[in-house]
Amino acid sequence: MKAVGSRLLQLVVLLGTISTTLFLLLRLSGDPAILLAGEGAGPETIAAIRIEYGFDKSLTEQYLIFIWEIIRLDFGRSLVNSQPAFGFVLQYLPSTLHLTFLAIFFNSVIAIPAGVWLGAKPNQRRRQILSTIVSVTQGTPAYVIGLVLIQIFAVWLGWLPSIAGTGTWAWVLPVATLAFALAPNLIRVVAASIEDTTRQDYYRTAKANGAAPNILLIKHSLPNALLSTTSLLGAQFAFLLSGALITEFIFAWPGLGLILVQSITNLDFPTIQATVFVVAYLVFFVNLIMDQIFRFADPRLRRSQL
Amino acid sequence: MSKELKNLITPITRRRMFKRKNRSLLTLRISATILALLFAIAIFQPFFYTADPAASDLSLRLQSPSLGGALLGTDALGQDVYSRVIAGFRWSLGIGTVGTLLGCLIGITLGVSAAWNRKRLRIILSRVIDIGISFPYLIIAVTIVTVVGRGFWPLALTLGLVCWPTIARVVYAETLTLREREYVTAARLFGIGSIRSIFTHILPALRPTIQVVAAFTFAELLIAESGLSFLGLGAPLGTPTWGNMLNESRLYMESAPWMMFGPVTAIIVTIFAANLLGEGLNAREQSRSTRVSQ
Repeated sequence: MKAVGSRLLQLVVLLGTISTTLFLLLRLSGDPAILLAGEGAGPETIAAIRIEYGFDKSLTEQYLIFIWEIIRLDFGRSLVNSQPAFGFVLQYLPSTLHLTFLAIFFNSVIAIPAGVWLGAKPNQRRRQILSTIVSVTQGTPAYVIGLVLIQIFAVWLGWLPSIAGTGTWAWVLPVATLAFALAPNLIRVVAASIEDTTRQDYYRTAKANGAAPNILLIKHSLPNALLSTTSLLGAQFAFLLSGALITEFIFAWPGLGLILVQSITNLDFPTIQATVFVVAYLVFFVNLIMDQIFRFADPRLRRSQL
Repeated sequence: MSKELKNLITPITRRRMFKRKNRSLLTLRISATILALLFAIAIFQPFFYTADPAASDLSLRLQSPSLGGALLGTDALGQDVYSRVIAGFRWSLGIGTVGTLLGCLIGITLGVSAAWNRKRLRIILSRVIDIGISFPYLIIAVTIVTVVGRGFWPLALTLGLVCWPTIARVVYAETLTLREREYVTAARLFGIGSIRSIFTHILPALRPTIQVVAAFTFAELLIAESGLSFLGLGAPLGTPTWGNMLNESRLYMESAPWMMFGPVTAIIVTIFAANLLGEGLNAREQSRSTRVSQ
């Protein structure tokens, strides 16, 4: 319970900081009414917006109103389609989550076995080839991978569609892009932690007791190695929510990322804010779930918190 | 005899130590050379141009790469892709450098203060660092850039302002162990004040750690910067940056795939060199610390 409380406090501080920053930036950067109205708006429109959003009141008053609205999850109406921004953003959440979960799934399916294989005997020549590939590809940004995949599979070979919404096959490239972007990092961490367990005393004892190499690897190394892997997966999930930003943009994938980019291009501040908040909530829940998984997976943590 | 067995049996001779040390030194040298070269391109870019990167000639639009004409082809406005890639170096490396410096400044200040103070400040600051680390900073950067506008300085400062949590976390952990060292305690007993001790004892000892994390941050900021430009949220439209060029190339993937190759190669090479530098520095640091403990 204490863990949940401290996470909750973190969330409140984070949201408070973000919204205060946005509030101040929006007011400091000139007349927000003009910014919200967009270029070429007449004086009547600007005046109407000023009253509608309460820009005629004092700064403190505005801030208090703003915070109160945020607590009620009322971000105002989208400036583009005048739907309530929060609900509008929530519509796009499932499709992002879908993409994220699939990417994490395939990422783990590729990277964990590869990492275990690599970590078991890191000095073998053919495994060093993989480790070289991993360290070269590790920093490659997702959008570069996405563009190259589109170029190869959609343009040259014509096997796969590159635009979302054209059936099941449309999922392949976005998921592959995200999975490939994440895999090198995960492989490295899995390999490093497998290698690390082989230096532990309990591992040596098991080995001395005559455990077979595969048993050693699966029963003694893997569980401990997966622990650090889980924490990375949690971080990767949070990263995906922003990494998917660009991938969604490339594949015109109707998700949070695309909404954020569009609303930024349109200077649609209510929607921008709502999206940032939804992402913050997601990160909060992911961290919360990760905490619980840790407590479940690592008996040492469970004992220390009792 | 298998190689691994042989490694186990042979004692750690000077020769083997030398070999291991050499490998990390080699990584360091290669990556530092590549980066120095890239920075040289960024600084002396006019010497590398084959054409004016801003000059457009519609009669030469979408030319494929050729040795006689445009080295990497031309884009939809007839601009020379090669020269624009070269021009992108100054933008990307500049933003990466400024952002990393600012991020290091904030990160080191917060990390050291959090570790040096034993009271409430530490609790507050380490919480702040935790929060900062858990949230994907690109999202915050995107939002800030929307308000403060596009361009070199807004982008560089924004990225610097959001990238500090990792640096702070690493510096915090390292300072915690450093402050318990005998020489730091001795200095305190001699009555040397906190500020002076931080500057003369902690910061110099932090240098290797900071170098490593700065190299990785630099790589990360390059990704973030070109990503933002790619989304059309970073560089002003038409500026020769890699992100912008990639964004423009999306429309011509079929007819002019070469528009993509230049910027993609530049991004991958630069990021790879920066990551390699971080790894080389890290390996050197680890080989040093094992030598000390042996």
